[in-house]
Amino acid sequence: MGMLRIMSRRGDDRITWDSQKVEANDPEAVAAIEEAERIFEKARQEGATAFKVEADSTVKRIDEFDRTAEQTVIVPLVVGG
Amino acid sequence: MLETLSLFLGIWLLFLLLAIYYLSQSPDGSVGRFRESVSGHLSAESRAKALLREMLTESQYQQLIKFGYLEIPSPSIDNRVYRVPGSGGLVKVYERGCAVMELCLQPAEPLPDGDVVVMHKLMIEGNEQEYLQKANHFAPGIISLRCQHL
Repeated sequence: MGMLRIMSRRGDDRITWDSQKVEANDPEAVAAIEEAERIFEKARQEGATAFKVEADSTVKRIDEFDRTAEQTVIVPLVVGG
Repeated sequence: MLETLSLFLGIWLLFLLLAIYYLSQSPDGSVGRFRESVSGHLSAESRAKALLREMLTESQYQQLIKFGYLEIPSPSIDNRVYRVPGSGGLVKVYERGCAVMELCLQPAEPLPDGDVVVMHKLMIEGNEQEYLQKANHFAPGIISLRCQHL
C-alpha cells in the first residue's frame, strides 16, 4: 500500500492506493496514484515540503513524487517566526 | 463571601447555558456553523493525534505526554538535541545538556498542535540544514542561559 498524507488545518488528508493493483493497471488504483501525484506537484509549487517516511521510520526529504514510497507526508509552507 | 461568589458563578453559568440553548434553536443556522466549526476542530485534533501516534515511537510519545515536549537528536551534530514543545512555542536546542539557542519556525497556515510536532520532527530528521536555515534563531532566554541539564 502507498499513502500520501497532506497536512492542513483540518488535520491530515490521505490518499491511499494498492501498489500491486497499480502495477496491474487497475483503473481505480491508477487514478488514486495519479491524483496523489497531482496533489504532490501542486503542493510543491505552493512551497510545501515533502518527506518520504519508511517503515523503519527513516525520514528523507524528496523533491519528486516517489511511486514506490510506502508513505509520503506533505508539510505546508513553513516560515521563520 | 464564598457563598456570594458561588451564587454569581452559578447565575453566570445558568445564563451561559440558556444562551447556548437559545442559539442552538436559532433558525439562521449560525449555531449549526458553530457546531460544525467545533466538530471540525475536534476532528482535526483527533486526526493530528493519530498521525502523531503513528510517527512517534512509544517512548517518544510517552515523553511528549509526560513532559509536554519531544526531544529529537540531531542527525548531523553530535550531542545536539532539539526539544520540540507539544503545544506550540520555540524549539529549544541543547548541546551536551546546555541550552544553546531557540528556534522559531511555524507553518504558514495554522495546523493542529500534533501536526506541528510532526512537522518539526520530519524537517529535523529529513533535512536539518534547511530546517536551521528557515528557522529564526534566538539566544536562549536569561533563565536558560544557565546550563540546563536534560
